[in-house]
Amino acid sequence: MTSAFSGVGKQAARVVLVGNPNVGKSVIFGALTGRYVNVSNYPGTTVEVTRGEARDRGSTYEIIDTPGAYSLIPMSEDERVTRDILMLESEAYVLQVCDARNMRRSLMITVQLAEMEVPFVMAVNMMDEVRSKKSMPNLDILEEKLGVRVIPTVAVRKQGTDRLLSLLEQAAPSIASISYGVRIEEAIERMKELLPDKTPIGKRALALMLLCGDDSLTPWLAGNVPAHQIREMNAQRSRLVETTGEDILYRVNQARLMWIDQLFETEDAEEPKPEKADLAARFGWLSMDPVYGIPILAVVLFIAYLFVGVFGAGVLVDLFKNIFFDGYVVPAATWVIDRVFPWPFLKDFLVGPYGMISMGFSYAIAIVLPIVGTFFLGFGTLEDSGYLPRLSVMVDRVFRKIGCNGKAVLPMILGFGCVTMATLTTRILETKRERIIVTLLLALGIPCSAQLGVIMGMLADIGIKASVVWFLLLLGVFFLVGYLAGKVIPGESSDFIMEVPPIRLPRPGNLLVKTMARIEWYMREAVPLFLLGTLILFVADRLEILLWVQRVSEPVVVKLLDLPPKTSEAFMIGFLRRDYGAAGLFAMAREGMLTNLQVMVSLVTITLFIPCLANLLVIYKEHGGRVTACMVLFIFPFAILVGAVVNFVARLFGVTF
Amino acid sequence: MTIYGQDEILELLWTLRELGKSGRSELLRETQEESPESLIEELRSSGHLEIAGDDIRMTPLGDERARVIVRRHRLAEVLLHTLFEIEPQQIDSNACKFEHILSEEVTESVCAFMGHPPVCPHGKPIPRGECCDRIKTEVRPLVTRLSDASLSVPVRIVFITPKSVKRLEKLSSFGIVPGSIIRLMQKNPSHVIQIGQTTVAVDKEITDEIYVKRA
Repeated sequence: MTSAFSGVGKQAARVVLVGNPNVGKSVIFGALTGRYVNVSNYPGTTVEVTRGEARDRGSTYEIIDTPGAYSLIPMSEDERVTRDILMLESEAYVLQVCDARNMRRSLMITVQLAEMEVPFVMAVNMMDEVRSKKSMPNLDILEEKLGVRVIPTVAVRKQGTDRLLSLLEQAAPSIASISYGVRIEEAIERMKELLPDKTPIGKRALALMLLCGDDSLTPWLAGNVPAHQIREMNAQRSRLVETTGEDILYRVNQARLMWIDQLFETEDAEEPKPEKADLAARFGWLSMDPVYGIPILAVVLFIAYLFVGVFGAGVLVDLFKNIFFDGYVVPAATWVIDRVFPWPFLKDFLVGPYGMISMGFSYAIAIVLPIVGTFFLGFGTLEDSGYLPRLSVMVDRVFRKIGCNGKAVLPMILGFGCVTMATLTTRILETKRERIIVTLLLALGIPCSAQLGVIMGMLADIGIKASVVWFLLLLGVFFLVGYLAGKVIPGESSDFIMEVPPIRLPRPGNLLVKTMARIEWYMREAVPLFLLGTLILFVADRLEILLWVQRVSEPVVVKLLDLPPKTSEAFMIGFLRRDYGAAGLFAMAREGMLTNLQVMVSLVTITLFIPCLANLLVIYKEHGGRVTACMVLFIFPFAILVGAVVNFVARLFGVTF
Repeated sequence: MTIYGQDEILELLWTLRELGKSGRSELLRETQEESPESLIEELRSSGHLEIAGDDIRMTPLGDERARVIVRRHRLAEVLLHTLFEIEPQQIDSNACKFEHILSEEVTESVCAFMGHPPVCPHGKPIPRGECCDRIKTEVRPLVTRLSDASLSVPVRIVFITPKSVKRLEKLSSFGIVPGSIIRLMQKNPSHVIQIGQTTVAVDKEITDEIYVKRA
């Protein structure tokens, strides 16, 4: 993401942050670098590698944040990213971030780091949340047995994080070593002989990865090991599998867990009481309850609607658009132009019907910004509370029907924030099939925050009945397409095994920083596109291309969908950004150019419509040209078809909303 | 081995009856026993069968004996199919031998162990045993599926029989391995298990594959 380190000097030591998901790597990254990366309370927030710079007593460090991993033998795309970083950055120090509440799992990563022979130190984070001493090994003993420094931290309060960098100088490979039994050990030895002399990480770790059947090493193998050696490796592995008759990774993991168990002072036959006791935990369980879960979801959705739809899209948009922009900004700009630069062209360019100020800025700042602002704030609260993964638990069975599992709900909900970013987070899904289904549904059926807010605003104007119809219609389309995609798209679905984080009270600090970071991102990303869109419209209007577009699209827009010709502008500009297209419809509806039925038809069409440019680029990046082309060729006619069906059926039965 | 032979005849009668058939000629056509006529005669004289022309019916005594045999046979099929993933087509011949040797106690253990399955892998109903009724009130089997375990009670994992290796590996990276102590926290809308201070949501399919005993 950032490559502006040319000035840092080549000696800057690199530090890779590694750990289980949701242990606070990104919080520590922020504490060390002062840079904000998205922090939430659910596993899989970080799907890409982020780099930043930290200074400590005159030395500079390059800090690398990685996606969380349960194992360094990767089982999902984001785990592979992490493992590959460790192999690429073989000169780097590693800072392992552990969850004090789940030390057994954290130590699973520790033993793998030990086998990789990388120098590391451990930060045992969330020390304040430890409930039972028994679940926590004595840290001094741990240091002694592992031979690496172990530092307790509470990263969200910056406790202990200031010591981390200076202690990194003492980073050393761990002395911990696990014996996996005669057969596996013999195979490891033979495998080590087959590896090249110089390997980026410890040979023992590589040998184990290969014996465990880690096929994600293929690219590295292809470049570093001659073909006949690879054949020999396969033979070794097959022989081991035959003699042990068991899954090797499973055996290895079991040996590791047993070794880890002896680090704990007491055998915890008595576990800590289940967390049903305190209030937050109670809420956590209730929100996954088959009886209370649904009403809680309804209340959450209703509050979200009140905050984003009524307060953001209603009150704030009124304030920004009608009072601030239309009342002051546009008249003031007109006044200045009239007096200072009295050219009709410039006036038209800035405050005309397709003017930069009257349309571009006005849409971006006055209509969309208040909506995304309130959405980001509300959404951030949900993210930090740990509520979202509980939704996965609620919907798992339903999502099975569309060829995914409950995990897929996370990218879908993120899609309500920004479909483009959500498409990236589909990496947390384990199979390609699931990633494609979710990507398709995101592109088709999930309106992003800006668009959703605008849509909510328009629906609020024509009544609750229309809102319900719109919602049910999209839900129906969503599951219909999902169901069909599940049937058509080949491949396997994966198991639903998902960690549910504890419910935590969101910290206002993180919430504020996160919302601001997202608004800043929106301003940087969206506003220029809004202005570009306005420019295109302006030029198209001047060159009378708009009339031509209207004429060409007339059979579809006017005949099939029964919409005014001007709506084709909104659809056209919807290619650029869907929210911009929706904002165009919003303005038309406010001016009374659309009947209620037309609002409905245009909203359904634009919701399903082609994904925005940014989203298309990400789909292309993640899945390649063929998949992208298929999606576009499906979505575009499909959106219009559904719009036409709604129009036809409504007219047939005389429904006008 | 006339006992085994008698068992086979009774079992076949039970199966034919499920198909709505009770003819002697039908029985003779289907059976693989060497001297079915003498076996039928033995069963008639011991009061297991009643014969009227072509029609052969089991007496209550014969019915009870057949029920136990069919139950063992089909439970054995479930055991082979679920635990060792043997295909239904191949199961029958293997299960045949089980039904003669399983004692009543072992049969009940198998039934409890497999979670009191209602049908065999071929989809035919398994006659209920006493253990199926008692399960909720008195006897709790030593080993149960995690999905049958009481909510929030800590249990120790005895073994895991996953459908795929990947699943086993994934579970083990959460620390869900034999020997670990876990609790089943809820069953609806998804199964949620707690291990240490970690909460993990999984499909029922997975908790079906984790066998536990009381910790």
